[in-house]
Amino acid sequence: MMAGFLDRFFGTPKSAGSKEDAKSRLKLVLMHDQVDLTPAQMEAMKTELLAVVARYADVDREHVELRLERVDNRISVVSTVPVRRVTGRLAHAG
Amino acid sequence: MSECIVITSGKGGVGKTTSTANLGVALALMGKKVVVVDADIGLRNLDLILGLENRIVYDLVNVIEGECRMKQALIKDKRCDNLFLLPAAQTRDKNAVSPEGMKKLVSQLKEEFDYVLLDCPAGIEQGFKNSIAGADRALIVTTPEVSAIRDADRIIGLVEAAELPEPKLIINRFRPKLVARGDMMNKEDILEILAIPLIGLVPDHEDIIVTSNRGAPAAFDEKSTVGEAYRRIARRINGEADVPFVALEEPDSVWSVLKRWMGLTPTREVA
Repeated sequence: MMAGFLDRFFGTPKSAGSKEDAKSRLKLVLMHDQVDLTPAQMEAMKTELLAVVARYADVDREHVELRLERVDNRISVVSTVPVRRVTGRLAHAG
Repeated sequence: MSECIVITSGKGGVGKTTSTANLGVALALMGKKVVVVDADIGLRNLDLILGLENRIVYDLVNVIEGECRMKQALIKDKRCDNLFLLPAAQTRDKNAVSPEGMKKLVSQLKEEFDYVLLDCPAGIEQGFKNSIAGADRALIVTTPEVSAIRDADRIIGLVEAAELPEPKLIINRFRPKLVARGDMMNKEDILEILAIPLIGLVPDHEDIIVTSNRGAPAAFDEKSTVGEAYRRIARRINGEADVPFVALEEPDSVWSVLKRWMGLTPTREVA
Protein backbone atom coordinates (compact mmCIF):
# COMPACT_ATOMS: atom_id res chain seq x y z
CA MET A 1 0.00 0.00 0.00
CA MET A 2 2.88 2.33 0.78
CA ALA A 3 4.35 1.84 -2.65
CA GLY A 4 0.94 2.55 -4.18
CA PHE A 5 0.67 5.65 -2.04
CA LEU A 6 4.10 6.91 -3.12
CA ASP A 7 3.32 6.15 -6.75
CA ARG A 8 0.21 8.21 -6.50
CA PHE A 9 1.91 10.97 -4.61
CA PHE A 10 4.81 11.35 -6.99
CA GLY A 11 2.87 10.36 -10.04
CA THR A 12 5.40 7.71 -11.07
CA PRO A 13 4.75 7.03 -14.73
CA LYS A 14 3.36 3.57 -15.29
CA SER A 15 4.65 1.42 -18.09
CA ALA A 16 2.61 1.74 -21.26
CA GLY A 17 -0.56 -0.32 -20.87
CA SER A 18 -2.35 -2.49 -23.39
CA LYS A 19 -3.88 0.49 -25.16
CA GLU A 20 -0.69 0.92 -27.21
CA ASP A 21 -1.12 -2.64 -28.48
CA ALA A 22 -4.74 -1.89 -29.30
CA LYS A 23 -3.80 1.24 -31.19
CA SER A 24 -0.99 -0.22 -33.25
CA ARG A 25 -2.93 -3.39 -34.10
CA LEU A 26 -5.94 -1.32 -35.13
CA LYS A 27 -3.90 1.00 -37.33
CA LEU A 28 -2.38 -1.97 -39.10
CA VAL A 29 -5.62 -3.82 -39.63
CA LEU A 30 -7.46 -0.71 -40.87
CA MET A 31 -4.68 -0.03 -43.34
CA HIS A 32 -4.96 -3.57 -44.68
CA ASP A 33 -8.78 -3.29 -44.78
CA GLN A 34 -8.39 -0.14 -46.84
CA VAL A 35 -5.75 -1.43 -49.24
CA ASP A 36 -7.61 -4.70 -49.67
CA LEU A 37 -4.64 -6.83 -50.74
CA THR A 38 -4.91 -10.48 -49.78
CA PRO A 39 -2.02 -12.15 -47.94
CA ALA A 40 -1.44 -14.15 -51.16
CA GLN A 41 -1.12 -10.92 -53.17
CA MET A 42 1.28 -9.46 -50.59
CA GLU A 43 3.35 -12.64 -50.86
CA ALA A 44 3.34 -12.47 -54.66
CA MET A 45 4.49 -8.85 -54.53
CA LYS A 46 7.31 -9.83 -52.23
CA THR A 47 8.43 -12.65 -54.51
CA GLU A 48 8.44 -10.45 -57.61
CA LEU A 49 10.26 -7.64 -55.85
CA LEU A 50 12.82 -10.09 -54.58
CA ALA A 51 13.39 -11.39 -58.08
CA VAL A 52 14.19 -7.87 -59.31
CA VAL A 53 16.60 -7.07 -56.49
CA ALA A 54 18.25 -10.47 -56.83
CA ARG A 55 19.29 -9.55 -60.38
CA TYR A 56 21.56 -6.88 -58.91
CA ALA A 57 22.57 -8.15 -55.49
CA ASP A 58 23.09 -11.28 -53.45
CA VAL A 59 19.94 -11.22 -51.34
CA ASP A 60 19.50 -12.72 -47.89
CA ARG A 61 16.17 -14.35 -48.77
CA GLU A 62 15.45 -15.49 -45.22
CA HIS A 63 15.15 -11.96 -43.88
CA VAL A 64 13.21 -10.11 -46.53
CA GLU A 65 10.30 -8.05 -45.21
CA LEU A 66 7.42 -6.41 -47.02
CA ARG A 67 4.70 -4.55 -45.18
CA LEU A 68 2.28 -1.65 -45.36
CA GLU A 69 3.02 1.44 -43.31
CA ARG A 70 1.32 4.74 -42.86
CA VAL A 71 3.83 7.50 -43.47
CA ASP A 72 2.62 11.11 -43.27
CA ASN A 73 -0.99 10.01 -43.68
CA ARG A 74 -0.15 8.04 -46.81
CA ILE A 75 -0.12 4.31 -47.07
CA SER A 76 3.28 3.07 -48.26
CA VAL A 77 4.64 -0.30 -49.19
CA VAL A 78 7.82 -0.65 -47.19
CA SER A 79 10.30 -3.39 -47.90
CA THR A 80 13.59 -4.34 -46.31
CA VAL A 81 15.79 -6.54 -48.48
CA PRO A 82 19.09 -7.35 -46.75
CA VAL A 83 21.91 -8.09 -49.17
CA ARG A 84 25.04 -10.09 -48.44
CA ARG A 85 27.07 -8.22 -51.02
CA VAL A 86 26.53 -6.25 -54.15
CA THR A 87 28.83 -7.80 -56.71
CA GLY A 88 30.37 -5.39 -59.19
CA ARG A 89 29.56 -7.61 -62.09
CA LEU A 90 25.90 -8.00 -61.04
CA ALA A 91 25.57 -4.36 -60.09
CA HIS A 92 26.46 -3.22 -63.58
CA ALA A 93 24.32 -5.80 -65.28
CA GLY A 94 21.34 -3.46 -65.58
CA MET B 1 -36.30 22.73 -40.00
CA SER B 2 -36.64 19.07 -39.50
CA GLU B 3 -33.90 16.48 -39.67
CA CYS B 4 -33.49 12.70 -39.80
CA ILE B 5 -30.46 11.34 -37.95
CA VAL B 6 -29.43 7.69 -38.13
CA ILE B 7 -27.63 6.17 -35.12
CA THR B 8 -25.40 3.39 -36.40
CA SER B 9 -22.27 1.42 -35.51
CA GLY B 10 -21.63 -1.69 -37.57
CA LYS B 11 -20.90 -3.81 -34.54
CA GLY B 12 -23.78 -4.92 -32.36
CA GLY B 13 -23.98 -4.33 -28.63
CA VAL B 14 -22.13 -1.01 -28.50
CA GLY B 15 -25.17 1.02 -27.43
CA LYS B 16 -27.07 2.15 -30.54
CA THR B 17 -30.50 1.53 -29.06
CA THR B 18 -29.61 3.00 -25.66
CA SER B 19 -28.15 6.05 -27.39
CA THR B 20 -31.20 6.49 -29.61
CA ALA B 21 -33.56 6.26 -26.63
CA ASN B 22 -31.55 8.68 -24.51
CA LEU B 23 -31.05 11.20 -27.30
CA GLY B 24 -34.76 11.04 -28.11
CA VAL B 25 -35.60 11.76 -24.48
CA ALA B 26 -32.98 14.52 -24.17
CA LEU B 27 -34.09 16.31 -27.35
CA ALA B 28 -37.74 16.03 -26.33
CA LEU B 29 -36.93 17.48 -22.89
CA MET B 30 -35.41 20.44 -24.73
CA GLY B 31 -38.86 21.05 -26.19
CA LYS B 32 -38.25 19.49 -29.61
CA LYS B 33 -40.87 17.29 -31.19
CA VAL B 34 -39.11 13.95 -31.60
CA VAL B 35 -39.89 10.53 -33.02
CA VAL B 36 -37.53 7.61 -32.44
CA VAL B 37 -37.83 4.92 -35.09
CA ASP B 38 -36.77 1.32 -34.51
CA ALA B 39 -35.35 0.25 -37.87
CA ASP B 40 -34.19 -3.12 -36.56
CA ILE B 41 -36.98 -5.14 -38.19
CA GLY B 42 -37.34 -8.56 -36.57
CA LEU B 43 -35.24 -7.65 -33.53
CA ARG B 44 -37.39 -5.01 -31.89
CA ASN B 45 -35.82 -3.47 -28.76
CA LEU B 46 -36.16 0.29 -28.67
CA ASP B 47 -39.67 -0.11 -27.21
CA LEU B 48 -38.26 -2.10 -24.30
CA ILE B 49 -35.50 0.39 -23.52
CA LEU B 50 -38.09 3.18 -23.52
CA GLY B 51 -40.57 1.19 -21.42
CA LEU B 52 -43.24 1.34 -24.12
CA GLU B 53 -43.37 -2.36 -25.02
CA ASN B 54 -46.91 -2.89 -23.73
CA ARG B 55 -48.46 -0.26 -25.91
CA ILE B 56 -47.58 -1.48 -29.39
CA VAL B 57 -50.48 -2.16 -31.73
CA TYR B 58 -49.09 -1.35 -35.18
CA ASP B 59 -45.51 -1.09 -36.40
CA LEU B 60 -43.30 0.44 -39.07
CA VAL B 61 -43.96 -2.32 -41.60
CA ASN B 62 -47.74 -1.90 -41.17
CA VAL B 63 -47.33 1.79 -42.00
CA ILE B 64 -45.12 1.17 -45.03
CA GLU B 65 -47.49 -1.47 -46.37
CA GLY B 66 -50.50 0.80 -45.84
CA GLU B 67 -52.17 -1.46 -43.28
CA CYS B 68 -52.62 1.42 -40.85
CA ARG B 69 -52.25 5.16 -40.71
CA MET B 70 -49.06 6.70 -39.32
CA LYS B 71 -50.95 8.14 -36.35
CA GLN B 72 -52.18 4.69 -35.31
CA ALA B 73 -48.66 3.28 -35.17
CA LEU B 74 -46.98 6.14 -33.30
CA ILE B 75 -46.77 5.63 -29.53
CA LYS B 76 -46.73 8.73 -27.40
CA ASP B 77 -44.44 8.68 -24.37
CA LYS B 78 -46.49 9.61 -21.32
CA ARG B 79 -43.50 11.03 -19.43
CA CYS B 80 -42.77 13.55 -22.11
CA ASP B 81 -45.43 15.12 -24.30
CA ASN B 82 -43.40 15.55 -27.45
CA LEU B 83 -41.66 12.17 -27.65
CA PHE B 84 -43.02 9.41 -29.89
CA LEU B 85 -41.90 5.90 -30.85
CA LEU B 86 -42.44 4.12 -34.15
CA PRO B 87 -41.73 0.48 -33.28
CA ALA B 88 -40.18 -2.16 -35.53
CA ALA B 89 -42.09 -5.21 -36.68
CA GLN B 90 -41.08 -8.20 -34.62
CA THR B 91 -42.30 -11.04 -36.82
CA ARG B 92 -40.99 -9.83 -40.16
CA ASP B 93 -37.48 -9.70 -41.58
CA LYS B 94 -35.39 -6.87 -42.89
CA ASN B 95 -36.41 -7.46 -46.48
CA ALA B 96 -39.97 -6.36 -45.61
CA VAL B 97 -38.70 -2.79 -46.10
CA SER B 98 -36.95 -1.21 -49.08
CA PRO B 99 -34.78 1.94 -49.13
CA GLU B 100 -37.56 3.69 -51.08
CA GLY B 101 -40.17 2.67 -48.51
CA MET B 102 -37.97 4.00 -45.74
CA LYS B 103 -37.35 7.28 -47.56
CA LYS B 104 -41.07 7.80 -48.00
CA LEU B 105 -41.74 6.99 -44.34
CA VAL B 106 -39.06 9.39 -43.12
CA SER B 107 -40.25 12.26 -45.29
CA GLN B 108 -43.76 11.73 -43.94
CA LEU B 109 -42.40 11.85 -40.36
CA LYS B 110 -40.32 14.94 -41.08
CA GLU B 111 -43.48 16.87 -41.87
CA GLU B 112 -44.56 16.46 -38.30
CA PHE B 113 -41.40 16.22 -36.19
CA ASP B 114 -38.32 18.37 -35.56
CA TYR B 115 -36.13 15.29 -35.19
CA VAL B 116 -36.51 11.79 -36.58
CA LEU B 117 -33.97 9.47 -34.90
CA LEU B 118 -33.41 6.12 -36.63
CA ASP B 119 -32.07 3.25 -34.55
CA CYS B 120 -30.11 1.31 -37.18
CA PRO B 121 -29.64 -2.46 -36.96
CA ALA B 122 -26.14 -3.89 -36.58
CA GLY B 123 -24.38 -5.05 -39.72
CA ILE B 124 -23.98 -3.58 -43.18
CA GLU B 125 -26.77 -5.41 -45.00
CA GLN B 126 -30.31 -4.50 -45.99
CA GLY B 127 -31.36 -3.01 -42.64
CA PHE B 128 -28.36 -0.69 -42.64
CA LYS B 129 -28.94 0.33 -46.26
CA ASN B 130 -32.60 1.09 -45.51
CA SER B 131 -31.71 3.25 -42.52
CA ILE B 132 -29.03 5.18 -44.38
CA ALA B 133 -31.40 5.82 -47.29
CA GLY B 134 -33.76 7.88 -45.17
CA ALA B 135 -31.18 9.82 -43.15
CA ASP B 136 -29.86 13.37 -43.51
CA ARG B 137 -26.84 12.64 -41.35
CA ALA B 138 -25.34 9.89 -39.21
CA LEU B 139 -24.02 9.47 -35.70
CA ILE B 140 -21.61 6.56 -35.25
CA VAL B 141 -21.54 4.83 -31.88
CA THR B 142 -18.40 3.00 -30.84
CA THR B 143 -16.81 1.73 -27.64
CA PRO B 144 -13.07 2.01 -26.94
CA GLU B 145 -12.45 -1.56 -28.13
CA VAL B 146 -10.54 -2.74 -31.19
CA SER B 147 -13.47 -4.64 -32.73
CA ALA B 148 -15.95 -1.79 -32.33
CA ILE B 149 -13.50 0.76 -33.73
CA ARG B 150 -12.66 -1.39 -36.74
CA ASP B 151 -16.35 -1.75 -37.55
CA ALA B 152 -16.91 1.97 -36.99
CA ASP B 153 -14.20 2.69 -39.56
CA ARG B 154 -15.99 0.50 -42.09
CA ILE B 155 -19.33 2.20 -41.40
CA ILE B 156 -17.77 5.66 -41.77
CA GLY B 157 -16.63 4.62 -45.24
CA LEU B 158 -20.11 3.38 -46.15
CA VAL B 159 -21.80 6.52 -44.81
CA GLU B 160 -19.46 8.67 -46.88
CA ALA B 161 -20.03 6.47 -49.94
CA ALA B 162 -23.78 7.08 -49.49
CA GLU B 163 -22.99 10.79 -49.81
CA LEU B 164 -24.23 11.75 -46.37
CA PRO B 165 -22.31 14.58 -44.66
CA GLU B 166 -19.32 13.66 -42.49
CA PRO B 167 -20.66 11.54 -39.61
CA LYS B 168 -20.00 12.36 -35.96
CA LEU B 169 -18.77 10.00 -33.30
CA ILE B 170 -20.20 8.95 -29.93
CA ILE B 171 -17.69 7.09 -27.76
CA ASN B 172 -19.71 4.95 -25.39
CA ARG B 173 -18.71 2.91 -22.29
CA PHE B 174 -15.71 5.07 -21.62
CA ARG B 175 -13.85 4.04 -18.45
CA PRO B 176 -11.59 6.79 -17.06
CA LYS B 177 -9.97 4.36 -14.63
CA LEU B 178 -8.76 2.08 -17.42
CA VAL B 179 -7.69 5.06 -19.51
CA ALA B 180 -5.67 6.43 -16.59
CA ARG B 181 -3.67 3.24 -16.30
CA GLY B 182 -3.14 2.97 -20.05
CA ASP B 183 -5.39 0.00 -20.65
CA MET B 184 -8.04 1.79 -22.67
CA MET B 185 -7.66 4.11 -25.63
CA ASN B 186 -8.55 7.70 -24.75
CA LYS B 187 -10.64 9.94 -26.94
CA GLU B 188 -7.59 11.38 -28.72
CA ASP B 189 -6.37 7.87 -29.61
CA ILE B 190 -9.76 6.96 -31.05
CA LEU B 191 -10.17 10.22 -32.95
CA GLU B 192 -6.68 9.83 -34.41
CA ILE B 193 -7.74 6.49 -35.86
CA LEU B 194 -11.27 7.30 -36.99
CA ALA B 195 -10.65 10.92 -38.02
CA ILE B 196 -14.22 12.21 -37.65
CA PRO B 197 -15.48 14.85 -35.17
CA LEU B 198 -16.52 13.77 -31.68
CA ILE B 199 -20.05 14.63 -30.60
CA GLY B 200 -20.28 12.66 -27.37
CA LEU B 201 -18.34 10.84 -24.69
CA VAL B 202 -20.50 8.59 -22.53
CA PRO B 203 -19.01 6.99 -19.43
CA ASP B 204 -19.58 3.35 -18.63
CA HIS B 205 -21.95 3.29 -15.69
CA GLU B 206 -24.30 0.91 -13.89
CA ASP B 207 -27.09 3.46 -14.50
CA ILE B 208 -27.45 2.01 -17.98
CA ILE B 209 -28.25 -1.47 -16.66
CA VAL B 210 -30.66 -0.12 -14.04
CA THR B 211 -32.43 2.26 -16.41
CA SER B 212 -32.87 -0.36 -19.11
CA ASN B 213 -34.21 -2.80 -16.49
CA ARG B 214 -36.84 -0.21 -15.69
CA GLY B 215 -37.50 1.11 -19.18
CA ALA B 216 -36.71 4.67 -18.08
CA PRO B 217 -33.72 6.11 -20.00
CA ALA B 218 -31.02 7.84 -17.93
CA ALA B 219 -31.64 11.12 -19.77
CA PHE B 220 -34.81 11.50 -17.65
CA ASP B 221 -32.70 11.44 -14.48
CA GLU B 222 -31.19 14.83 -13.71
CA LYS B 223 -28.60 13.35 -11.37
CA SER B 224 -27.31 10.66 -13.71
CA THR B 225 -23.84 11.24 -15.22
CA VAL B 226 -24.78 9.12 -18.22
CA GLY B 227 -28.01 11.07 -18.59
CA GLU B 228 -26.02 14.29 -18.49
CA ALA B 229 -23.65 12.99 -21.18
CA TYR B 230 -26.65 12.33 -23.44
CA ARG B 231 -28.28 15.66 -22.64
CA ARG B 232 -25.07 17.37 -23.76
CA ILE B 233 -24.99 15.38 -27.01
CA ALA B 234 -28.56 16.50 -27.61
CA ARG B 235 -27.51 20.13 -27.17
CA ARG B 236 -24.69 19.62 -29.69
CA ILE B 237 -27.09 17.94 -32.13
CA ASN B 238 -29.31 20.99 -31.80
CA GLY B 239 -26.42 23.19 -32.88
CA GLU B 240 -25.17 24.52 -29.55
CA ALA B 241 -21.43 25.19 -29.76
CA ASP B 242 -18.76 24.59 -27.10
CA VAL B 243 -20.67 22.23 -24.84
CA PRO B 244 -17.93 20.68 -22.66
CA PHE B 245 -17.54 16.89 -22.50
CA VAL B 246 -18.84 15.33 -19.33
CA ALA B 247 -16.57 12.42 -18.60
CA LEU B 248 -13.31 14.10 -17.71
CA GLU B 249 -14.17 17.54 -16.60
CA GLU B 250 -15.69 17.21 -13.15
CA PRO B 251 -13.34 18.63 -10.54
CA ASP B 252 -12.26 16.39 -7.66
CA SER B 253 -13.06 17.49 -4.18
CA VAL B 254 -10.04 17.77 -1.88
CA TRP B 255 -11.36 14.85 0.16
CA SER B 256 -11.94 12.50 -2.72
CA VAL B 257 -8.43 13.18 -4.02
CA LEU B 258 -6.90 12.65 -0.55
CA LYS B 259 -8.84 9.46 0.01
CA ARG B 260 -7.75 8.11 -3.34
CA TRP B 261 -4.12 8.95 -2.60
CA MET B 262 -4.33 7.15 0.70
CA GLY B 263 -5.76 4.15 -1.10
CA LEU B 264 -9.04 4.35 0.81
CA THR B 265 -11.08 4.33 -2.36
CA PRO B 266 -9.48 2.51 -5.28
CA THR B 267 -10.24 5.05 -8.02
CA ARG B 268 -13.34 6.61 -9.36
CA GLU B 269 -15.62 4.68 -11.63
CA VAL B 270 -16.72 7.77 -13.45
CA ALA B 271 -14.58 10.83 -13.71
